[in-house]
Amino acid sequence: MGKTVPLTIDGKDVEAASGQNILEVAHEQGIYIPTLCHYSRTTNVGACRVCVVEVEEAKSLVASCCMPVSPGMVIRTNTPKVRDARRLIVELLWASGDHNCLNCEQNGACELQNLIYWLEIEKPRFPIEHPGYDVEKTNTMIQRDLNKCILCGRCIRACNEIQVNEILDFSQRGSRAKVGPAFDTDYIDSDCYFCGECADACPVGAITFKQARFAGRPWELKKVKTTCAYCGVGCQMDLNVHDNRIVKVTGNRAYEQPNWGSLCIKGRFGLDFVNHPDRLKTPLIRTEKGGELAEATWEEAYAFIAEKLTDIRKENGPESIAGLSSARCTNEENYLFQKFMRAVIGTNHVDHCARL
Amino acid sequence: MKVFRSHMLLCGGTGCHSSGSIEVKKALIAELVKRGLSEEIKVVETGCNGFCAMGPIIVVYPEGIIYVMIKPADIPELVEEHLIKGRVLQRLLYKEPVTEGIIPTMQDIPFFALQDLRVLRNRGLIDPEKIDEYIARDGYDGMAKALTEMTPEEIVNEVLASGLRGRGGAGFPTGIKWKFAAASPGDVKYVLCNADEGDPGAFMDRSVLEADPHAVLEGMVIAAKAIGAHQGYIYCRAEYPLAIHRLNIAIAQAEEYGLLGKDILGTGFVFDLEIYQGAGAFVCGEETALMTSIEGQRGMPRPRPPFPAVAGLWQKPSILNNVETLANIGQIILRGAAWYAGVGTEKSKGTKVFALTGDVNNVGLVEVPMGTTLGAIVYDIGGGIPDGRKFKAAQLGGPSGGCIPVEHLNAPVDYETMVELGAIMGSGGLIVMNDEKCAIDMACFFMDFCQDESCGKCTPCREGTKRMLEILTNITLGKGKEGDIELLEEMAIIIKDASLCGLGQTAPNPVLSTIRYFRKEYEDHILRHRCEAAVCSALFKSPCQHTCPIGMDIPSYIALIREGRLEDAYKILLRTNPFPSVCGRVCDHKCQSKCRRGKMDEPIAIKFLKRFITDNIPRPKIETVPVTREEKIAVVGAGPTGLTAARDLALRGYKVTVFEELSEAGGMLRWAIPAYRLPRPIIAKEIADIRALGVEIRCNTRVGRDVSFARIDQDFDYICLAPGAHKSQKMGVPGEELLGIYGGVEFLRDFNTHENAWMKGEKTLGSKAAVIGGGNSAIDAARCAVRLGADVTILYRRERKDMPAAVEEITAAEEEGIRIEFLVAPVSIIEKNGRVSGITCRRMKLGEFDRSGRKKPVPCEGSEYTLDVDAVIAAVGQFPDLSFVPKESGVSVNKWNCFDLAEGSASQTTNLKFYAGGDAVTGPDTVIGAIAAGHQAAKDIDGAIRAQKCEAAYEEPAEEKIVIPFVLDEENPEAPQAKMPEVHGNERKQSFIEVELGFTREEAGKEAARCLRCDVEV
Repeated sequence: MGKTVPLTIDGKDVEAASGQNILEVAHEQGIYIPTLCHYSRTTNVGACRVCVVEVEEAKSLVASCCMPVSPGMVIRTNTPKVRDARRLIVELLWASGDHNCLNCEQNGACELQNLIYWLEIEKPRFPIEHPGYDVEKTNTMIQRDLNKCILCGRCIRACNEIQVNEILDFSQRGSRAKVGPAFDTDYIDSDCYFCGECADACPVGAITFKQARFAGRPWELKKVKTTCAYCGVGCQMDLNVHDNRIVKVTGNRAYEQPNWGSLCIKGRFGLDFVNHPDRLKTPLIRTEKGGELAEATWEEAYAFIAEKLTDIRKENGPESIAGLSSARCTNEENYLFQKFMRAVIGTNHVDHCARL
Repeated sequence: MKVFRSHMLLCGGTGCHSSGSIEVKKALIAELVKRGLSEEIKVVETGCNGFCAMGPIIVVYPEGIIYVMIKPADIPELVEEHLIKGRVLQRLLYKEPVTEGIIPTMQDIPFFALQDLRVLRNRGLIDPEKIDEYIARDGYDGMAKALTEMTPEEIVNEVLASGLRGRGGAGFPTGIKWKFAAASPGDVKYVLCNADEGDPGAFMDRSVLEADPHAVLEGMVIAAKAIGAHQGYIYCRAEYPLAIHRLNIAIAQAEEYGLLGKDILGTGFVFDLEIYQGAGAFVCGEETALMTSIEGQRGMPRPRPPFPAVAGLWQKPSILNNVETLANIGQIILRGAAWYAGVGTEKSKGTKVFALTGDVNNVGLVEVPMGTTLGAIVYDIGGGIPDGRKFKAAQLGGPSGGCIPVEHLNAPVDYETMVELGAIMGSGGLIVMNDEKCAIDMACFFMDFCQDESCGKCTPCREGTKRMLEILTNITLGKGKEGDIELLEEMAIIIKDASLCGLGQTAPNPVLSTIRYFRKEYEDHILRHRCEAAVCSALFKSPCQHTCPIGMDIPSYIALIREGRLEDAYKILLRTNPFPSVCGRVCDHKCQSKCRRGKMDEPIAIKFLKRFITDNIPRPKIETVPVTREEKIAVVGAGPTGLTAARDLALRGYKVTVFEELSEAGGMLRWAIPAYRLPRPIIAKEIADIRALGVEIRCNTRVGRDVSFARIDQDFDYICLAPGAHKSQKMGVPGEELLGIYGGVEFLRDFNTHENAWMKGEKTLGSKAAVIGGGNSAIDAARCAVRLGADVTILYRRERKDMPAAVEEITAAEEEGIRIEFLVAPVSIIEKNGRVSGITCRRMKLGEFDRSGRKKPVPCEGSEYTLDVDAVIAAVGQFPDLSFVPKESGVSVNKWNCFDLAEGSASQTTNLKFYAGGDAVTGPDTVIGAIAAGHQAAKDIDGAIRAQKCEAAYEEPAEEKIVIPFVLDEENPEAPQAKMPEVHGNERKQSFIEVELGFTREEAGKEAARCLRCDVEV
């Protein structure tokens, strides 16, 4: 490494890093090359072919996402031949399925839609065919509509390479090829963990979040970056908020550490408690045995706790008190909790729910 | 070793197994036991012998006698005759399809004689399940040399020097592939053999594996040494159970002999081999998909780079070679690169194995030097096209390849030439197609295969092939649109350019190549809804009707004959054809060539059935049609074109005047076709009907002589020119102007004009006449000459199968005692007293193929000989006499002396007032072609008039409704075509009475019942 590779891209002489592919070099140079199957930090498979470019002396067009640069390469990313190929490919994809944007959750955030617009395609020259798959609605989290699938394979790589759950792959051949779990079952009947990585990866409306169905168009949603409250890992995520309600949770590949955009089932789908009527919003105190819980202020609550703990410690000694902390707390909070139990209460009876 | 008196080698490839060789083997062994011959005669089951069309095959050594198409029931007689009595059993010998000569020994059969066996050198000779037999044929000698005497570099260099290129199809130099893999760092490398042969029609690799599996193993060990590999896989499709069985045996035997596994030949070299069975995906023939499949994943291609030589199977350096490539290696190492490169072309060395299939006589496996011409493979080795059909194209490279049409039969089959012609060498599938195959249907077949076999990974291949198939299918269904061809071309180019792997990159080839060579067929389908080959049945009611140039409703009149409703049948005839009784006698019946019954036994006798109708009931009465239109129309020439045009225009209410030079109307029907084929009253009746409509025919009126061209131009609004082609071509030899030399049509016209003088002997040809030519005119002239008492010889420069004359005419001529000398051409005429006294001829031999797919005759120098004759009739071609057309008329005449038509029109000349049709446009053609041209001209003239007056297009008056009966036959057993009763003997040879007598009612009814009624949808 460290060695640079001289090449020419769209008439510009540049130095690329050894091992880079054409797509990476183009993006560094501010040259837009459209992609569909490319998904960051997964294998480049060269499947969709919309990123094809011309390379001098190559026999045919080459997929820029998986062609490593070599010294002296002369690359052209925007020739009539390249444009014609991209247009035909996108036309074919458009006509291949039920790409009806009217009620599609991805309308406005769909990579195929954007590409059609960018390529200025009025309509495909081929009759649009509805593949006739049943929409999978058998679970409460992920909705799969294979009629919209463009077979880019991103969900498969997300499942196998990012999450390493190895649930998804292609079955069948040719235009009948489809993505799914083994034996073509529904997600709910497979070993799927419902991490939702596939839905995050899907560039079109084939895999979507079921809770978000009809809950807001992409441009109405406000993305709020936050840290997942479920455990101490501290996964970064985007809450997609509409009318002050969380509609869905998406990962963001740009957020890097600690989760690089990946989430688990809890962070992804477990946030409906936020707006739940049963959610605890203030401390509650039961003052009499068998009596009703009554709302209290934090000051009242802390005072009540301090008073009770002090009394118990006084009466029965510190060994009569045990503390149980939560896995949803951060490490720092757990540290403080045990410190409090040992130094203030004076007991070693301290534990954590994750051990239960 | 035990010595046997005789070895009987029985073909045991999959092909012969399917045609029954296992049963034959059982019967043979049982018979030998029964006769007590088991100790004297050895039965060997070999791999594929190659001559699959003739299987099961037994070759008896030491004599080398080959018996073909043997059934178990033949065995007792074969053993009795050949093995006990020592006599060759004639009836099981091979019969040459064209000459019908019997050829007893294998090496004399052209199919074998013209091959050069290297890869297939052991085929049919050894028992593939016995390693000793392979070793006895120098087996493993190459490997021994490579392991003990050569360094890896030397092996790679030897293969490089041999020029061997990948036989899987792409033709990448094998040596270079090995060199890259050898240079790749790493101690784990793999040698892979691609035996996933999947092209439709290709079975080369299967045969090699079944007949000589050790040759592949030997090649793999050598390759392993060359690149430093110790593990190999043979990826063989599971649908090849016999190949896998024999490979397993071969691997076990080689291991046992120390020729495979640990410490091979004591050299310390290790190479283990495993078979991996492919699950039947075509894409797994692609190298990266194949490797992915061996890795246990879904067989889908991966992008390259990295190339397998760097990171292949399990990301280790690997080489993948095809079965045939590997089978060459042992011999290359043993005999040296120079030996190998001794045959082939500059860039394509060695031999290539082809699986020759389709419409060819000798279906089988052939191995020929690279650069052998396609024509030699198809005709000399393949024995040509069955049933005398025409070669249309050969598909090379299967679904990834392209077709090579008839005009390129002389093309040498090598990598570069094939690519230039739009095909690829491919793995060796060579599918021959005759003129009954539709180019679009064929493109559809291969595209269907590719879209079905596409793995679905990349968009262009997955969606593009599907859409191309959709467009092609629509074209075959008559739903093609203008612009479809261009869209197909655009898609094809992009799919080739943008697909991930070889499957998609080559899938559009069959479409591109059929568009390249058969664009007109595409246009015919899209614009005219015509399928010339009568394959795309959505475009027509029945193949016969579709093939008829005037679209006669053949199934209907045949059905009516069966019911005995001849009046209705006659009405159907007259709807499209003004000359049904003429056509019932002299039509060239293209309809019959496409009759589907012909695929079962023989076609329906459509022509004769048509005649039967007109012979057996009176013609429907014709009423004069009142003149309702003001335009006056002249027709020049009262032949079938002119009269048809006149009739059609009269029916549309025009006043039509026909100008005819000769004393009677009829053109060639009256003045060239002899009365024994077409009696005069028959023509006269049909012409009388045309007159009865109100058409005026002025005979003895030649335009340009009796009436000026300018006059006609002035007196008429539109003129249809249909003067025919009444002048004979010259032979172009010295002495052609002598007395006693006639042109074919001139002789026939003279005879028909002065019949009395000829018959009385006032005019004579003398006692010996030679007729030059092979067309119908030549036969007509010859058969006339016989009737005038001459001893007649026809001299034809090609072979019998190339004669353009109708087969039945040739047979009839021979029956009348006419000799036909083939491969002879005239050189000069010998004169005596100002007359011809002889003709010097030269023998010809067949050279390269011409554009018509026939071999061109070339002179044999020094073969001249003289034939004593009193007359020579040269019937070598005809052309129109258009001298009556003045240059200033604006009606242009081309270099073939025919009318030029206006761009985009089917009948309008370059002067918009003049239309033309028939032989004067096309050159000499058939009666039915002339009638079609007459219809066309009339339609176009009427259309032009109406268009000019802004009138609606002509609508045919409503036809009388004729209900066509249909009888569903539960069974339709095989039955040959009814024979036409004929006059024979001297009565026929000495008079001009009609030779063919016509069907009886019973014969006609029976023949009509043979019709399969393709027109009916049940």
